[in-house]
Amino acid sequence: MSWNALEWYFQRITGGLLLVLLSAHFWVEHYMTAPLRRGDLTFEVIASRVSNPVWRAIDIGFLVVALFHGLNGVRNIILDWGRLGKRAIAAVNVALVLVGVVWAWIGITAFSRL
Amino acid sequence: MTSSVGAVLKKYRWQFSGMVAWTLQRVTGILLLLYLLLHVHTISKLSQGPAAFDAAIATFSSPFFKCLEIGLLGVVVLHAFNGIRITLVDLGIGVGKQRQLFWTITVGMGLLVFLAGAIPILLFAVLKVR
Repeated sequence: MSWNALEWYFQRITGGLLLVLLSAHFWVEHYMTAPLRRGDLTFEVIASRVSNPVWRAIDIGFLVVALFHGLNGVRNIILDWGRLGKRAIAAVNVALVLVGVVWAWIGITAFSRL
Repeated sequence: MTSSVGAVLKKYRWQFSGMVAWTLQRVTGILLLLYLLLHVHTISKLSQGPAAFDAAIATFSSPFFKCLEIGLLGVVVLHAFNGIRITLVDLGIGVGKQRQLFWTITVGMGLLVFLAGAIPILLFAVLKVR
């Protein structure tokens, strides 16, 4: 399977995953309890949830999947422009991977003190 | 003259709304990625302890930001349901009926889910109904 076919496939798979993960995320952070429905999200609420390693893994996985889907979407927009040579496309790929790694790192280390 | 304009419009009608749907997916996608940047920035305050995080998140608990959050939900829902429509057409489901799919899935089902999510935020977090 070519990279372009795989990329197309992954964009759909991650899109489907995000639909499930994002629905759960909205429910857990905005609707589940009365204080959350009033919009009172606090450090305590997040700390008690993320201290559970399963939730922590779900949150980190959610961020990685969202970053892949979002940055791959940006790559599609750039490539749709259709005027880039092989070297420019390679540079775009490297730049987007770097952005993704830094972005994921900032998100993951947010939990370091919890 | 008018009939030929009508014929041209009829011929390009789907291409036009298809173009709208295509642009919609790209614009909402970029908005969501920009939101994720802001979101991860706020969440990163967790590593600075409870006081720093609660101060950062308090800004977003105001009725004004809760209204923006309803807008965010709208952008998410548009992107998600338009994405479902695109995936269905890619799988060969509803080919030739893209227009109907756009109105039933992206607009119709999207609107239902948007209302289901937006009404509780409006009632409890913006209007503070007990």
